[in-house]
Amino acid sequence: MNVTFWGVRGSTPAPGPAMVRYGGNTSCVSVRTKAGALLLLDCGTGARNLGHVLLAEPEPAPFRGRGQAAVLLSHTHWDHIQGFPFFGPLYVPGNAFRIFGPAQSSELLEGILEGQMAPQYFPVQTLKNMGARIDISAVVVGTPFEVMGCRVTATWNPHGRSRALAFRIEDGDTTLVYASDAGYSTDGPAPEALSLYAGADLLIHDSTYTAEDRARPGNQGLASVDDAVAVAVAAGVRRLALFHYAEDYTDTDVDRLIASAHDQIRRRGVALELIGASEGLTLTI
Amino acid sequence: MNVRFWGVRGSLPVPGQKTERYGGNTSCVEVRSASGTRIIIDAGTGIRHLGKSLMKEEFERGIGAAHLLISHTHWDHIQGLPFFEPLSRKGNQLNVYARRRDDGHLRAVFASQTGDPYFPVSMEEAKATISFRELADSAQFEIADVEVSCARLNHPYVATAYRLSVDGARVVYVSDTAPFSDILFESQYVAQPPLPSAALSQRDRKKLQSMRDGIVRLCEGADLVIYDTMFTAEDYRRLPHYGHSRPSDALEICRAAGVKSLALFHHAPERTDAEIDLIARETVAAARGSGQTIEVVAAFEGLQIPLGRGHR
Repeated sequence: MNVTFWGVRGSTPAPGPAMVRYGGNTSCVSVRTKAGALLLLDCGTGARNLGHVLLAEPEPAPFRGRGQAAVLLSHTHWDHIQGFPFFGPLYVPGNAFRIFGPAQSSELLEGILEGQMAPQYFPVQTLKNMGARIDISAVVVGTPFEVMGCRVTATWNPHGRSRALAFRIEDGDTTLVYASDAGYSTDGPAPEALSLYAGADLLIHDSTYTAEDRARPGNQGLASVDDAVAVAVAAGVRRLALFHYAEDYTDTDVDRLIASAHDQIRRRGVALELIGASEGLTLTI
Repeated sequence: MNVRFWGVRGSLPVPGQKTERYGGNTSCVEVRSASGTRIIIDAGTGIRHLGKSLMKEEFERGIGAAHLLISHTHWDHIQGLPFFEPLSRKGNQLNVYARRRDDGHLRAVFASQTGDPYFPVSMEEAKATISFRELADSAQFEIADVEVSCARLNHPYVATAYRLSVDGARVVYVSDTAPFSDILFESQYVAQPPLPSAALSQRDRKKLQSMRDGIVRLCEGADLVIYDTMFTAEDYRRLPHYGHSRPSDALEICRAAGVKSLALFHHAPERTDAEIDLIARETVAAARGSGQTIEVVAAFEGLQIPLGRGHR
């Protein structure tokens, strides 16, 4: 399985010369399964660049008219869906996309995604004008479902006054977990979340803040780098990818954030491989 | 007055090395009169940085007032507002102006941007006072010492151009707009370019002509016009139905209106710094080649243009 990061930023895209090494695009990760199927995890502005790459693939260039992919949305805050209207393959008739995300019903989820396309906000006016076939399903938490040949399980994490889905994606014997926007209480993650993460080959985890910044008022809806290390250790994962950096963190700030995670892992004396996600990085698991 | 660019990009923010010099933030321009009247045009992601800068001044103490003129409510012109820090301070005042529509209230358009399930903090929770004023297509009004005039633009779902006059100078913001020649944009979705054989109806041609006249009048004698020049000639050939102009369209309007300087603006997301350099050079050469006396600059984040009396 190959995992590629297209956007690693939280809250809002952060252009600027101080953010070019890690990148300023909001959350989007692509997964190529062992069988070659494509899954997207969230659809922030990073999705635009992924779309360009898919459309520029050499022949047989599936996304020029017979491509299929699935999109798993952790939640529908802007930084996780705002790349959707700019994802080129959605405009190619013949392509087919299945979207999975949180809502009480599939109709409601469709309404939420339609809301972003509405004429007062976007010239395309509706998902129906995009061209590709788009099937939208609300995720049922706790019940595994099949997506592009993988077994996917979802659970809730608290996210401020709201909540976000974490996904466990099993491709044969390879396991990836994606946990963005995880604002745990002081007791840490719920048992369901820990068991969802357990033993993953790679855990991509919200690491928006330093512990100090997370302690500031209003920042408890997201995780600190300390939270990410603690849950990775508690869940016995093999690799941890830090992700969803605060919009104001410069490359130097993110370097420091990652260094502090290395320190914590060293102090704990555990065998945990650490990666600071950056735009364009591909990991093979 | 002083004009300062905080976001110069169209469509969506584009972080990355290739957009470093001109900047990747979406549309936001600040105009400040010599007496200190603060006007902001559009609230793309650039407004987040303007907000941080304002919080170093009176907005930090909760005694700031600003006026936000919205050209239209497509995402790249409003998506920064939830990240505008002065709204988190009680006592600050933000007055938002945009074109009136008969299919919904302006406040609702903004409130749903920060509503559940899209954003964690609702507009009602903002500590600052936010007011909304809906404008007619050719509204004229005053904001303290600044005279504001509006005219309609040719863009899907309609956009508004603004002229600000103060301190003996005039700046006009013309974004987003298609040329006033091939397609009349209203509320309908234009799925594809018109067929080469399809002539404009008499009605559409008249409407476009009157819209163009309105824009030329608005730009008449302006010191600076900020113009949507997102498209190259090639882009426009492929995508005339997207509602954006070329530098040649901007030059043509500026020539008709006797404009002194032009800022190329609303750069396409895919445009690299090197490409924008080239477009600016070509536009300067085109103006010179046709004997048009005009200064041309490609707007970049951080660019400041002082105009008229007592600028700072």
